[in-house]
Amino acid sequence: MKEQILSTLRELRAYAVEKGYEMVIYYHEEDSYLMRFANSAISLNTNEHLVRIEAIAYDGRKRASYEMITDLNEIETIKAGMDVAGEMVQHAMPLTYDPTVPHLEVDFIDDKGYDESLAKLSNEERLAYFNAVAGKLESEDIKLSGIFSNGTNTLAQITTKSESVQYFKTSDAQVTAVLSHEKLKWEVIAEQSAQQKSELDPMVLNEELAFLVERYQTEEPEQIPLGNYDIVFGPAATAEMVRFLSLIGFNGGLMKRGYSFLNEEKVGEQVFSEKFTLTDDPARMETFPFKQDFSGIDRKLYSLFEQGVFKGFIWSQDEADEFGADPTGHTVMHNSFVLNAGDHEVNSLQELVAQPREKDILYIPYLHYMNIVNPSQGLITGSSRFGALLLKADGSVVVPYNVRLTRSLLEVFGEKVAWLSKKTVAYNVSSSYGARNPTSVIVPLFMRVNDLEISHSNDSY
Amino acid sequence: MRKQIQQEIERLKGMGAAYVDTRWYPFEEQEYLLMWNGNLKTTASARESGVGIRVLYKGAWGFSASSDLSDLGALYSKAFDNARVAAERVTFPVRLAEKDAIQAQFESPCKINPFDVSLDDKVAFLKAMDEKLNQEGVEQRTSDLNFIRKQIIFIDSEGSETEKLITEVFSGLRVSGRDSEGGSHERKFRLNRRGESRGWESFDMDYFNENADRIVKEMNQVLRADDCPKDKRDAILMPGILFLQTHETIGHALELDRILGYELAYAGGSFVTLDDFGKLQYGSKKLTARADATLPNSPGSFGYDDDGIPAKNTVLIDKGILIGAITGRQMVEEANAKAKKHIFNESGGANRATSFYRVPIERMTNINIDPGNDGTLEDIVKNTEKGIILDGEKSWSIGSNREQFHFATEIGWLVEDGEITDVVKNSTYKGDTVKFWNSLSLVGDESTTEVQFVDNCGKGQPNQIMQLGHSVPVCRFDNVTIGE
Repeated sequence: MKEQILSTLRELRAYAVEKGYEMVIYYHEEDSYLMRFANSAISLNTNEHLVRIEAIAYDGRKRASYEMITDLNEIETIKAGMDVAGEMVQHAMPLTYDPTVPHLEVDFIDDKGYDESLAKLSNEERLAYFNAVAGKLESEDIKLSGIFSNGTNTLAQITTKSESVQYFKTSDAQVTAVLSHEKLKWEVIAEQSAQQKSELDPMVLNEELAFLVERYQTEEPEQIPLGNYDIVFGPAATAEMVRFLSLIGFNGGLMKRGYSFLNEEKVGEQVFSEKFTLTDDPARMETFPFKQDFSGIDRKLYSLFEQGVFKGFIWSQDEADEFGADPTGHTVMHNSFVLNAGDHEVNSLQELVAQPREKDILYIPYLHYMNIVNPSQGLITGSSRFGALLLKADGSVVVPYNVRLTRSLLEVFGEKVAWLSKKTVAYNVSSSYGARNPTSVIVPLFMRVNDLEISHSNDSY
Repeated sequence: MRKQIQQEIERLKGMGAAYVDTRWYPFEEQEYLLMWNGNLKTTASARESGVGIRVLYKGAWGFSASSDLSDLGALYSKAFDNARVAAERVTFPVRLAEKDAIQAQFESPCKINPFDVSLDDKVAFLKAMDEKLNQEGVEQRTSDLNFIRKQIIFIDSEGSETEKLITEVFSGLRVSGRDSEGGSHERKFRLNRRGESRGWESFDMDYFNENADRIVKEMNQVLRADDCPKDKRDAILMPGILFLQTHETIGHALELDRILGYELAYAGGSFVTLDDFGKLQYGSKKLTARADATLPNSPGSFGYDDDGIPAKNTVLIDKGILIGAITGRQMVEEANAKAKKHIFNESGGANRATSFYRVPIERMTNINIDPGNDGTLEDIVKNTEKGIILDGEKSWSIGSNREQFHFATEIGWLVEDGEITDVVKNSTYKGDTVKFWNSLSLVGDESTTEVQFVDNCGKGQPNQIMQLGHSVPVCRFDNVTIGE
């Protein structure tokens, strides 16, 4: 299949050259399988095989694109689409800067992230996995929800600048399992991300869910008082905040457009806690990495924050072109963010709950519907969800109703960070909007931040 | 093609399928242009076609979709196989509410097909808008055009066949600038319902120019304003924020699949239970809300849903009491069975998919609030002792069961003793859904009502983006927490 894709791209390139187009041709193919569960049943079992081809035409400072969902055999249809892009660009308006057309020096082929046994899991295997996750935890009142999403993502690119091609192929799986009480309305979650089949282990999820279900079945939920708490964030919450940091923090283009709480003068300054070290590390296979970006730059370890010191912005090719910056290899569908581990020994929620504590700790595994209240201040808001716990100083555990946190990332990742766990996990943050794009962020399993204000506390679910 | 579809449907029925339907998209095209600070950053066009097949077998759904129509038989077989496996884990066998078989067509109102308009004209429009927005105080300015046109042919095993031609037109202007402390503030204008059709005729230059000047002026007022106080005040929500309040805390909360737990793995549930219908005082007596897919010329009006049900106008909340939900054929049957009573008489005709390769789920149509008898905006202000007028969505975050929320708005105007006084920046408000709607004290008349379009409502896994509308008046809510 790889050869067919690449030979078709070369044929399309030859057509573009013959027609006098300056053009980039992207190929995106997804083979997606999704088994969705709700109310302890399979609510949807679906597969999609989609091939998208995008032709981006350039004419000096003008640029236009045309995208088709098609298949490789429809070569004449694809050429017609390229003609549309070629026609559109004539009517586009010149940019105020010179856009760079990628020039790929040599072929770049990376399919090391592909595991056929994961990509081609059968319906029966997906169902068996979920049956194992649910174990004996379901009941008349406690229902299973979730997804098992797996598939293959193939990307390729050729441009009229050279005959060289880029080709990326990866397999991925994202599992979310939720148990919820039909009447009491509490819900708990366990998740797994895999790049290879061997990384799938339903019993890990089963144990996490069993622990939480026991708590939720035995404890009466409470509305906790407003005020400041020492909070331990789980990986989902931390990964989501890192994702927001990538939007309103160190993205060069967004900074230039006024959507960042950082600026060029902050480079080299202490912005966050010394415990906070964040990189973009394409060597980490768990992040489904791009080892070369779409402008042809080899991607290497890129330091963003080192012991809290801000090291610099990331620049895609187009933003670098527009704002006169140097591109940093970030013209990619997603990055490979890694928040470094700390030194705190805690390897599971069970261990966290069992550890002695000098004061109450609020455990928030997941922040739901996070949004940016004020980008200039780094101010975000979101609500706890999926199994929050109030770990009392006396060793007891309270189940709280959900709470809202509206704080600045400067505060959350700042001096109030008490510790990060030694153990890290790859948390899958893939969005299922648009084309398949498996993405995960590596974060410590737990991060404790002291003295954060809770601004809203629910009196029910 | 239609004959082939019918034959495949019959074949699967012969294999034991209880129900089969097909949505065939001969074409869906989209064009998006974005101008940012004088740069035409995006000039993008897209086209796709394909079929999506839904099969019900032994109480379970299977779905399959492809753009490759060369082997339709294999695609139908795959959908059947997916249903066969899903049938191994069924807790409540899917049943579909009764419906009449129909043969029908629908075309959304459009006088000038935007895809027939030259790119030169579209670029000229954006260039004119960009120049108009390029005024003192403005650091960032964007203007965009988004056109969608699609043909959908629906055929099911119960004898229905519908054909739809939908044209959508969306456009917006946005400016932002920085205050003296470096804080960024923005103000937007979005093209909403104007007249009886939505094609290229929607682009009235005078109307856009007027709104461009307005948002620049208001943004500059915000740049010079003080912060919104931390306070409790009566909040007067303009349609430019009430549409989103309605969307998030009435619309999503009343999707029946959410209420029944079908979105718990991702989007969340609802605080509403089946016991609440007919009883829950969702809002004050001044609140009547409806899901109205018959509202002319709105993205939430689409003729027939993807179950083949004609558009309906369903009352959701009648004078404050919850009585209805956003429903499709499957969920009303399940809800009635689980509630052990007849809450819903029929499908509300709200089952929709975003594209041929996604499965239909309950989606908002036009979720509207009926206008009231409390006069104009001026009347409402005059009757407010200590309040704040809020407009323009900036940030929104809602609890997973839609039970509470936090919104930030682009602009606020303080109201003291019936007079508008100062503009404030960084305005926010928050509340609990039911308490908030029960604090609804004044509802503006028809003159205050606007139909706001939404082009990016997300739901489901895999995620689906949907277009819809909200017809809402100006409303006042008492004693709301602001500025936090």
